[in-house]
Amino acid sequence: MNKPTSAASAPAILNRDIKTIVNAGLKRRHAAETRFRWYGLIAVSLGLLFVVLMFGNIISKGYPAFWQTYIQLPIKFDPAVIDPQGSRDPKTLESADYAALVRAGMRQMFPKVEGRLELRALYGLVSSNAALELQSRVLQNPALIGAEQEIWLLASADVDTLVKGNIDRSLDETERPIKDNQVGWVDKLKAAGKIEKQFNTILFSSGDSREPEMAGIRGALMGSFYTLLVTFLLSFPIGVATAVYLEEFAPKNRWTDIIEVNINNLAAVPSIVFGLLGLAVFINFFGLPRSAPLVGGLVLSLMTLPVIIIAGRAALTSVPPSIREAALGMGASKLQMVGHHVLPLAMPGMLTGSIIGMARALGESAPLLMIGMVAFIVDVPKGLMDPATVLPVQVYLWSDLPERAFVERTSAAIMVLLAFMILMNGLAILLRKRFERRW
Amino acid sequence: MSTTTLETQTALNGALNIGAETRSSQPGILVTDYNNRQTVGKITVDHPKMICREVNVYYGAKQALKNVGLDIGINEVVAFIGPSGCGKSTFLRCLNRMNDTITGCRVTGQIKLDSDDIYDKSIDVVQLRARIGMVFQKPNPFPKSIYENVAYGPRIHGMVNTKAELDDLVRASLERAGLLKEVATRMEEPGTSLSGGQQQRLCIARAIAVNPEVILMDEPCSALDPIATAKIEELIDELRESYTIVIVTHSMQQAARVSQRTAYFHLGDLIEVGETDQVFTNPKHKLTEDYITGRFG
Amino acid sequence: MAMSQDAHTVKQFDVQLANLRSLVLEMGGLVEKQIENAIQALNDENLTAAREVIARDHVINGLQVKSDEDSVNLIALRQPLGSDLRMVMSLSNITTDLERIGDGAKKIARMTIQIYEGVGSPPSARLLRDIMPMSKLAIEMLHNSLDALARLNTEKALQVTKRDGDLDEEFQAALRRLMTYMMEDSRTIGHAINVIFAVKALERIGDHCKNIAEHIVYMVEGKNIRHRNIDTRRDVAAQDTLEK
Repeated sequence: MNKPTSAASAPAILNRDIKTIVNAGLKRRHAAETRFRWYGLIAVSLGLLFVVLMFGNIISKGYPAFWQTYIQLPIKFDPAVIDPQGSRDPKTLESADYAALVRAGMRQMFPKVEGRLELRALYGLVSSNAALELQSRVLQNPALIGAEQEIWLLASADVDTLVKGNIDRSLDETERPIKDNQVGWVDKLKAAGKIEKQFNTILFSSGDSREPEMAGIRGALMGSFYTLLVTFLLSFPIGVATAVYLEEFAPKNRWTDIIEVNINNLAAVPSIVFGLLGLAVFINFFGLPRSAPLVGGLVLSLMTLPVIIIAGRAALTSVPPSIREAALGMGASKLQMVGHHVLPLAMPGMLTGSIIGMARALGESAPLLMIGMVAFIVDVPKGLMDPATVLPVQVYLWSDLPERAFVERTSAAIMVLLAFMILMNGLAILLRKRFERRW
Repeated sequence: MSTTTLETQTALNGALNIGAETRSSQPGILVTDYNNRQTVGKITVDHPKMICREVNVYYGAKQALKNVGLDIGINEVVAFIGPSGCGKSTFLRCLNRMNDTITGCRVTGQIKLDSDDIYDKSIDVVQLRARIGMVFQKPNPFPKSIYENVAYGPRIHGMVNTKAELDDLVRASLERAGLLKEVATRMEEPGTSLSGGQQQRLCIARAIAVNPEVILMDEPCSALDPIATAKIEELIDELRESYTIVIVTHSMQQAARVSQRTAYFHLGDLIEVGETDQVFTNPKHKLTEDYITGRFG
Repeated sequence: MAMSQDAHTVKQFDVQLANLRSLVLEMGGLVEKQIENAIQALNDENLTAAREVIARDHVINGLQVKSDEDSVNLIALRQPLGSDLRMVMSLSNITTDLERIGDGAKKIARMTIQIYEGVGSPPSARLLRDIMPMSKLAIEMLHNSLDALARLNTEKALQVTKRDGDLDEEFQAALRRLMTYMMEDSRTIGHAINVIFAVKALERIGDHCKNIAEHIVYMVEGKNIRHRNIDTRRDVAAQDTLEK
């Protein structure tokens, strides 16, 4: 009854029929909405398209690298070649000319081949790794000496490339890495079932090599592992401590403001600058060895710290103030409040942030170039001070090499790198889902 | 009923050296004169647990509480009422120094718990908050088990030595909070799995587990339904026998139901204080009258 | 604390309170009219008018029921506090007093009928002479108390409570006189008893008016002055007014 019913005082517009007014503009509104939806769809599908293109390209290129061509040869472990004295002395066994056994096997397969050049071409079908393979077999089992066995031996990279169909046979002989006669022998071996593609264990078990068929990513993987270990052990505790101090204990004044701004700035600094800093401070000033995972980890820690601090502070602020009040109201000291209640609640968020920061560090290459982790290193690193390289740098190194077989290995390394990235991000999501509390 | 004689008041005031509590020009009305503003009604009680005098609170440059003087008697429930932003919660938070956590908050004046000035440097805030428990507006159990929630206080204060003692204390506290029957078989479930009213009673159990002398409640029922509210109110009435309770509430009916004395705050001033029945049937100050009758602008 | 004249935030609250008060005032007006009519009927020896008064009593009763309902509704729906609560409770009490005053009017009307309907001779004017001044005083008290209610005027209400003493004295005097008449001439006993009922009713009306006045003081000032010495009443009532 006290409703303002005086229509006279209301603006004239209110007397018009609201239904017709709204209806008039309705079509336009709906059209705008549909249009907007389409924009979104187009943007999303464009993004997806590029992702699919990238993955398709990498996988199609890198997939063959997981398979390697092997040639089956009849090998006679001739005691006269391996151990003429019959002493079975490991030293003798180690230094024996196993390549001769391989060559003998080749000659046995193709008895008609003659002439030095022809024979060299024939021997070239098998990788130099074949001799090492025989050596390790004999060292493991000296009883083999004197026996005769059909053994799968690693084919050379050129044969591998040919078998995978990556060499155009119609090209002129001089423009191919593999000659006509070699092609003929390969075809013959194939026809006899003596050529086969097997899973490429070398890729995961050995370090870098100049020979593509013998090059693996184990060295880079271990390098990445040690580097990230250092990064995590340094940046996580320091980052969490910094975040907790800034968020819970530090007075809010000009100084903390300056620190906050600088942390945010640090997160935006190009990573190569951190590399230069690492070079100047850790290597030139502190005299740490070049190419060492320790230095790489230090540099990446600098880069990851701001990310962890920012993520940590966000996780801390998302803990509801009511929990803090409850703890303080119970008479908990500030440290008890943080330690017992706030930190456990913020931990999943902090871990998520850290893992994402670590994933970023895993993919980083530029700062590591500056501290010499870009060297050609054959040995798998065994510690923090051994020279090492990391996965992304390995990718960068291989992508520079001319051999066709390195192209697929580059892509394979990228695939491994991506797999780790996805794994780490997946872990981050899992942690968040698992420990996320609704209060 | 507090029937302080004028002599004791004068003696108290003299001891605390505050603005004189006088009778106004009309006989029978007690008015405490603080500079430019008067608090209507008797601010003193016979057996005070807490004595607050000339309390001022500033948030930065803004004054949130002006010259508030009030006694809180032993084993009585005092209700603070008033419109939003009137300073009642601010005053409540002064009583256990929860305002310390707010940057830019400054408290002047004197607040005594028994004979200790709680803002004195010698008083540790941790010890103070163990003596003055608090229950908040939103039920805020820790995201831990029911047992852990109640055990937390005794644990951090080192009140118990053995697990059996702690068990007893937890059960006794839950019992006193009227919650034991409902949670006896689910002590290990998270406190957040309880209903809103149960959560709030859990918070009360948590507060009384450290056996405080005073319990502060900041709108403890504002998030609860009427039945849960009734249970809490009944609980407050029972707890009054052992504790001194100060409650801030937006519900005048609630203040009327649970409290013995009521204080009305308005824009940082303590306008009127008195026996609850008097304040709600016959308030002396026009602002109080306007607020409780629903005439507040 | 005097009654606040500011409007409530909830307008409907104001409307309901105002309705209740005007209902009580309407009832008061009706009761006043009933007494006047009853006295008039006695004076005029008008039996029809007296019967009308009796017949109209149920209207007053109906108004009391209505105002009780309204009070209960107000308490249940608005939960009045402070002066609002005092007003609702006082109005509710005032309606009870008004209803009793209405009953008093009915008693006088019934007495009129008994005196003049019977076959015996009508009473002498001597017997009836106390009724007029007492009724005048009672009606004045009722009128003033209703006036005080309409204006929320405590001063006027306090005056009413003082007049009750006058009425009591009149009643005592009337009783003594009637007793003398009865002793002088036992034939007058029948009429005299009826007259005693009438003056007693008037005396009761005065008591109820005093009650109404006291309720008004409580409603406005929040001070209970009932059952107190007349001389202290003003003090008690005045104590509570503070500069607003």
